[in-house]
Amino acid sequence: MFFIYSLLAKLIRAFVLLLNRGSGFSLPGYVLLKLNPSILSSSRIKFKKGLILISGTNGKTTTAKLITHVLNSNGLKVIHNDTGSNLLRGIVSAVFMNTSLLGGFDADVGVFEVDEFALPALLNYFKPSVLVLLNLSRDQLDRYGEVDIIFDRWREAVSKLSSSSYIVADSEQEEFKELHPVFPGILKTFGSDSSLLHHTKLHGKFNAKNVNAAYMACSRLGFEKENITEKLGTFKAAYGRGESFVYGDKNFTILLAKNPASFNNNLDLVNSGKFPADTLFFILNDNLPDGRDVSWIYDIHPDKLFEACKNKNIFVGGTRFLDMAVRLKYAGVLYPDEDKEKNSDNLNNDLGVLIKKITGSEKIMDVLILPNYSSMLEIRKLLLGRKIL
Amino acid sequence: MKLKIGFFYSNLLNLYGDTGNVEILRFRAEKRGIDAEVIEVNADTKLTSDLMSELNIIVMGGGPDSGQKQMYEDLLHNKGSYLKEYIESGGAGIYICGSYQLLGHYYKSADGKMLDGLGVFDLYTRSFGVKRPRCIGNMMCELNPDILNDPVFRSISSNTDSPNSGYPVFNFMSLVGFENHSGRTYLGAQTKPFAKVIKGHGNNSEDGTEGVHYKNSIGTYMHGPIFSRNPHLADYLIGKALKLDSLDRLDDSLVYRAHSFSETLPQ
Repeated sequence: MFFIYSLLAKLIRAFVLLLNRGSGFSLPGYVLLKLNPSILSSSRIKFKKGLILISGTNGKTTTAKLITHVLNSNGLKVIHNDTGSNLLRGIVSAVFMNTSLLGGFDADVGVFEVDEFALPALLNYFKPSVLVLLNLSRDQLDRYGEVDIIFDRWREAVSKLSSSSYIVADSEQEEFKELHPVFPGILKTFGSDSSLLHHTKLHGKFNAKNVNAAYMACSRLGFEKENITEKLGTFKAAYGRGESFVYGDKNFTILLAKNPASFNNNLDLVNSGKFPADTLFFILNDNLPDGRDVSWIYDIHPDKLFEACKNKNIFVGGTRFLDMAVRLKYAGVLYPDEDKEKNSDNLNNDLGVLIKKITGSEKIMDVLILPNYSSMLEIRKLLLGRKIL
Repeated sequence: MKLKIGFFYSNLLNLYGDTGNVEILRFRAEKRGIDAEVIEVNADTKLTSDLMSELNIIVMGGGPDSGQKQMYEDLLHNKGSYLKEYIESGGAGIYICGSYQLLGHYYKSADGKMLDGLGVFDLYTRSFGVKRPRCIGNMMCELNPDILNDPVFRSISSNTDSPNSGYPVFNFMSLVGFENHSGRTYLGAQTKPFAKVIKGHGNNSEDGTEGVHYKNSIGTYMHGPIFSRNPHLADYLIGKALKLDSLDRLDDSLVYRAHSFSETLPQ
């Protein structure tokens, strides 16, 4: 059966690409899970040197990429859901895209970022050697529900892991302290010390934590400190997470800002001057992957928002650009809105119109884009020609 | 004249950006030259009649289960009687989601457990657990006639430009927001709803009512936060809080556009 699943996955992917119906990273896994919900427990899926799962509200993609980068640079064969497709189906797809045509499976390590809601279900089938728990904060209440509910599910799932499993968790997340008594394995915590961060080109306290978490996961697999820090030096930011590029002779940097915590973290970065910019471009969508409730933008700290926008050109786009514009107004940024000459052209749901205006302006040199999830994919498609990789 | 905003349980009941309501009240007062002060009343705050008599508007939001557990006993035993007296004597305020439910007679959970409320509002709430889906989605409602005909509200809504001024059109009868609750709330026979549901579930997805309107207090399921796209409601409560007959106009062209757009969102 394994051979058939493996072939089927590749056929489905090919069809999706042939019909030009997306990247085809989700559908193969979706179909395989329909045929066999416990497909990931197959004894054929064996990672010789370990399986690392990473979950939490923010930092999954960057941390998984950091770990993969260190392991790859050491010559290991890593299977990684690098497209950020992090539900069960995405992980199944990643596994079966990496089998040989005859269904052969050969991988040293699996590194998977996992949606925080999907983690308990995944742990029923997939037994990690290292589980990285980054943080939990408000994100898409209409889809996930409250943080308490997710954490309760995590605690139950973690209590069923074996004593040989190893958890790496954020020392500042109060809830994680409750995992100690129920988790049978070893739990180590990481903090926000920035000495390892300095080996990378990343910035910010939240990235210090991501780097520290990645370091602990790699150490657990047996890599020495010198080795890991050396590899960190050549790490490139994950898509949309601090990546920079030139488009139409302007410098662009994308800082994914998809929930209150990541938005406020990024405003701290902007206010620290780490990314010099003359223009801020906010994009807010309410598509399915974003959640349809945009009330979270009022958990963005108004003073930080005001400070970040001071003396900068402001552009606002996306399906809910008007909500974002109103949020800026109440932070004192777009007020009085009577200043219509200045503002109205810079506010538009159509990102193409705004990009045209930005690239056509002689005053603009450096643009920081703060999009939420689906709008990050959209703006990448416009500026880089591809949504993800 | 000063707007003194009592922000109840700001650290425990702040799940849906409801802090934004406080920020917006302050903004709309200050832009009119009215001083505003936010007084946080948390579980460890000792309430006194003096402190209560200083407040002229109260904002109380909804919280996660853990937050509501932490404030429940304090509300019932320490703050409840003050709050009841404040509301009964006509103090202005808005109580959203979880706190709206706690101001009713009781909350009955799916397993039959009863949680006493303050009984200020004549209503009760039931949760049916997994038997009925959560009420989640965009909402549009029509304000009740009592508010629409209130002199303060009429003065606010007449404060607009002529139709051909280029200023965005604004529907003063309507409210837009987002709801996310599992409890179903049922009003007593004589109790007035805050609004009529046009799109969304409202109190219980059965009778077309949304929230409660009692004296100068409003209970509601609407997030957004509710004042963000409903400036007329914020101004109405500011007017009630400060006992004003009218308020100066603010430039709300962006907000009006956001409101009108929200009316077109699917539920």
